[in-house]
Amino acid sequence: MESISPVSNQVTQPTTTTTTTSSSDRSRRKRRKKSQPSSSVDSSQSTSLDKWRSEKQQQIYSTKLVRALRELRISQQPSSSSSNPRGGGGRAVREVADRALAVAARGKTLWSRAILSKAVKLKFRKHKRQRISSPTTTTTTLTTGSIRSKKQRATVLRLKAKGLPAVQRKVKVLSRLVPGCRKQTLPVVLEETTDYIAAMEMQIRAMTAILSAVTSPPPPGHDGGHTHMLG
Amino acid sequence: MSGRRSRSRQSSGTSRISEDQINDLILKLQQLLPELRDSRRSDKVSAARVLQDTCNYIRNLHREVDDLSERLSELLANTDTAQAALIRSLLTQ
Repeated sequence: MESISPVSNQVTQPTTTTTTTSSSDRSRRKRRKKSQPSSSVDSSQSTSLDKWRSEKQQQIYSTKLVRALRELRISQQPSSSSSNPRGGGGRAVREVADRALAVAARGKTLWSRAILSKAVKLKFRKHKRQRISSPTTTTTTLTTGSIRSKKQRATVLRLKAKGLPAVQRKVKVLSRLVPGCRKQTLPVVLEETTDYIAAMEMQIRAMTAILSAVTSPPPPGHDGGHTHMLG
Repeated sequence: MSGRRSRSRQSSGTSRISEDQINDLILKLQQLLPELRDSRRSDKVSAARVLQDTCNYIRNLHREVDDLSERLSELLANTDTAQAALIRSLLTQ
């Protein structure tokens, strides 16, 4: 009996440590799966690209997208007769896809938060046309960004590094293309761009996969009885 | 208010960001661009070139996403079986 108790103590110790690690950071475990467990800044930057290239992330995004598209379809059916379904429908699908992509980014990037707050902003604009103080954190970043814009614009112009007008002009154009980066400093815009490009590439891969899975007939190995529905 | 002041200090601190750091970021961006990644010469491609190609690439990506979403919307609007096919494709994935 006495010999068993120290063994049980030894058994409980590793379990407690594993529970603490599992309960502390799920995101860290995801990072560990993909890259080395070092938590330096460089590894986090490289994992942001690896994150968008991983098969798992594409699966997650595809699932979210399909679910959202199904809901969209149900709401689209009654209005398809009145308005032009193709032009308007395409835009709705694009917005749904962008929103799903922003959710997949888990709010860590500027462009994802900007996309999500764009959807929320429309709701606010419906009710009142007032200046919003701080109902949510996302809108605070928007309003404070507009107040701070003069100072930030000055810092963008005053950047001694890369003061070339051609580079500055191109960065400004670039910042307009990436959502949420219009009034950001140069390094922020560049960083957001790298993540945004990787995310969009994944979005395109996922949407192409969904299209090809739906339009082409499914493989006969899985369900041969249903091929006649699509064929 | 103090948050804003500290933010402005941070931004003025980032204005002292070194050219090397910016070059690093632009290099990383260059790795993402397909046309500049394959034909990677030993000498650096100019930053303006990288940025210009980035803008064009992002516009291309936007156009592709728009095109794909148009096709998806047509698909969704047309057939009823598309919904069943979507569910099935989700399961087989």
